[in-house]
Amino acid sequence: MSFKAFKRALWVYHLNTGSCNGCDIEILAVLTPRYDAERFGIMLVGSPRHADVLLVTGPVGRQMVPRLKRIYEQAPDPKMVIAIGSCGLEGGVFHESYNLAGPIDQHIPVDVYVPGCPPRPEAIIEAVVKAWVKLEKVEQGVS
Amino acid sequence: MTMEKVETTYTIPVGPIHPALKEPVRLDLSVNGEEIVDVDIVVGQVHRGIEWLGMNRNNPIQSIYLAERVCGICCVSHPFAFVEAVEHAAGIIPPERAGYIRVIIAEMERIHSHLLWAGVAAHEIGFDTVFYLAWRVREEIMDLMEYVAGNRNTKAMFQIGGVRRDITEEQLPKIRKSLDYYKSIFNQLKTVFLDDTTIKMRTKNVGILKTEDALKLLTCGPTGRASGVAKDVRQDQPYAAYADLDIKAITPDVITGTVVGDVYDRIIVRLVEVKQSIEIIEQCLDEMPSGDILTEPKIAKLLNTLTKAEGEGVGRHEAPRGEVIHYVRLEPGRETLSTWKIRAPTYVNLMAIPTILKGGQIADVPIAFASIDPCISCTNRAVIVDKRTNKKSILSGKELHELSIEKTRKLKC
Amino acid sequence: MEILSPEEIIDGFKKALGDSFIDSKIYEQEVAVKKNVFRTIWVYVKREAFRKAVEHICKLQEYPHLAIISSSDLGDSVELIYHFTIYYGHHLEEISLGLRVNLPKNDLKIPTLTDIIPGALFTERETQEMMGVEVVGIPDSRRLFLPDGFPEGVYPWRTDETGPQDILRVLPGRKQK
Repeated sequence: MSFKAFKRALWVYHLNTGSCNGCDIEILAVLTPRYDAERFGIMLVGSPRHADVLLVTGPVGRQMVPRLKRIYEQAPDPKMVIAIGSCGLEGGVFHESYNLAGPIDQHIPVDVYVPGCPPRPEAIIEAVVKAWVKLEKVEQGVS
Repeated sequence: MTMEKVETTYTIPVGPIHPALKEPVRLDLSVNGEEIVDVDIVVGQVHRGIEWLGMNRNNPIQSIYLAERVCGICCVSHPFAFVEAVEHAAGIIPPERAGYIRVIIAEMERIHSHLLWAGVAAHEIGFDTVFYLAWRVREEIMDLMEYVAGNRNTKAMFQIGGVRRDITEEQLPKIRKSLDYYKSIFNQLKTVFLDDTTIKMRTKNVGILKTEDALKLLTCGPTGRASGVAKDVRQDQPYAAYADLDIKAITPDVITGTVVGDVYDRIIVRLVEVKQSIEIIEQCLDEMPSGDILTEPKIAKLLNTLTKAEGEGVGRHEAPRGEVIHYVRLEPGRETLSTWKIRAPTYVNLMAIPTILKGGQIADVPIAFASIDPCISCTNRAVIVDKRTNKKSILSGKELHELSIEKTRKLKC
Repeated sequence: MEILSPEEIIDGFKKALGDSFIDSKIYEQEVAVKKNVFRTIWVYVKREAFRKAVEHICKLQEYPHLAIISSSDLGDSVELIYHFTIYYGHHLEEISLGLRVNLPKNDLKIPTLTDIIPGALFTERETQEMMGVEVVGIPDSRRLFLPDGFPEGVYPWRTDETGPQDILRVLPGRKQK
């Protein structure tokens, strides 16, 4: 990864598709003064229409599938999707339940996967940086 | 002139808008101008079928780790109650030292959960600096939990018949240092939350729940105690090491002298409980007996005992949000549990929401809803819907949050 | 309100219910270093006297706390246990009380408690949708946790043919249990 500086700030939108909140409070902890992601320019926004990166947690329950697809379509291109937590990868510990509709990448394309139950805040920051680099490459037209 | 009733459906996110705790709780409110007339709740978005998994796929030891992931914030409460229930059903009695270690971990979790809630409540009123302060202060207890138990969140300390890791002599100085830090800043936290004029104006006489309603609607935990129902499992039917400590349920009259049942009383109860938790941990560290920490260290033998056991048991624990109950039934010859029923405290506290919100203003909805400390994933998500009037218009959660901040700004002028 | 011992409580039930009282059991355990005692009472009644039993509990304490209703599938009958706790608010005095009712599978009906205890609404709705028991007189019988598109007639907690075996999500490479 060789880059001089990020060209602009990165706006992030968080979506919970039915998780236990463990990953969600670790995402919140990334913004608090201890880990402080805002000094890198990462900011959480309240609407998917302003977002560059979507942070998706949780095993996808049946009721949440339409909402997941709708929010993905509302976010403008170019965008990155990060699946946080083991639940988003294959269902985590709930993988055989009757109320799950599949992991996240069966419904929307995912760019970065973060395993862990829950993953540490440092791992989440690294995932966002990886997505950032990928996003800049996409914008510059490099494959 | 008849008042025009406007039916509005709001999607209200519980928890701070800008960070992660956005649980889609849909409250359909019927409003009359600015006043709320009726509320309906709809639940179900986080239903993952945990009880079914415990009854059909997991053996009892694997179900401990499943119970841990019912909720990521109170991830010590559910294993605690579950392990108590299985021990009553199978007739296993854990050693006394294990009971003391369980209590120490549970009280540490209570401190972390109440500080988390304090930050969320400040954010709903509009004080983002207090939100950042509360979460920064919380990092100290997260470091302590990582030092003692191995991880910040899901700790895997519980086992049927005891605990899996011990608290050794070398760890004691660091634990005491962290507790001293909390004792030294407690008065500062109290001043920030209880003596501030704007917080008093926004929270006094808002979201009132009377004692009689709290008793009928089966409210428990700090929400019920703030309304005068002095019910606390640690005081009434104690278990593990609580039976040796004399714990008193905290009601708001220790500070203000009367019980009103509004949001301000709930802040009082939770802050004073943080102080009580610090004292409990210190008392446990002083009085902890020596001995084993597990009745049966070998897992294969333990599984064998559980497969042959027969009986039923009820395990209860006072979680940071209220009373958690697990009911377990074991059948001989069957590797999975025969019946498993979980009840989380938000399950019953949600039924108090219509009473709390009725008659109030729309701008008070975020803080009044957050004051019961809802852990929606514990409840399997509840969505509350109430429709009554004719016109429909949708306000997003962000607009609702901004209404709440606007009210604070108006009060300050 | 006077605080009775477990044996006195069981005698009170026997007197109030007569023939409909089937069985009872007391569970006691000593806890921690000081060896205080932790008590649970289980009472088994017939369905006809179920509401009378709940009214008798309300005489023991004015607002008993109904924690949850748990249900078990026992083959050709369904057993419901109503978990109450009484005498809360007093140090070391609380007693857990489990009220058992057995329902045959061809007649799964039970009367509601929401007029005596309004807070029983959620747990009755959950029993209705998860076990297939019909609660007679319930004011709101919508589904609570299951999604709207969930097939009718499938009850997740049952172990017979109405269980959710057909709609499980199986990972590739694993056998369906």
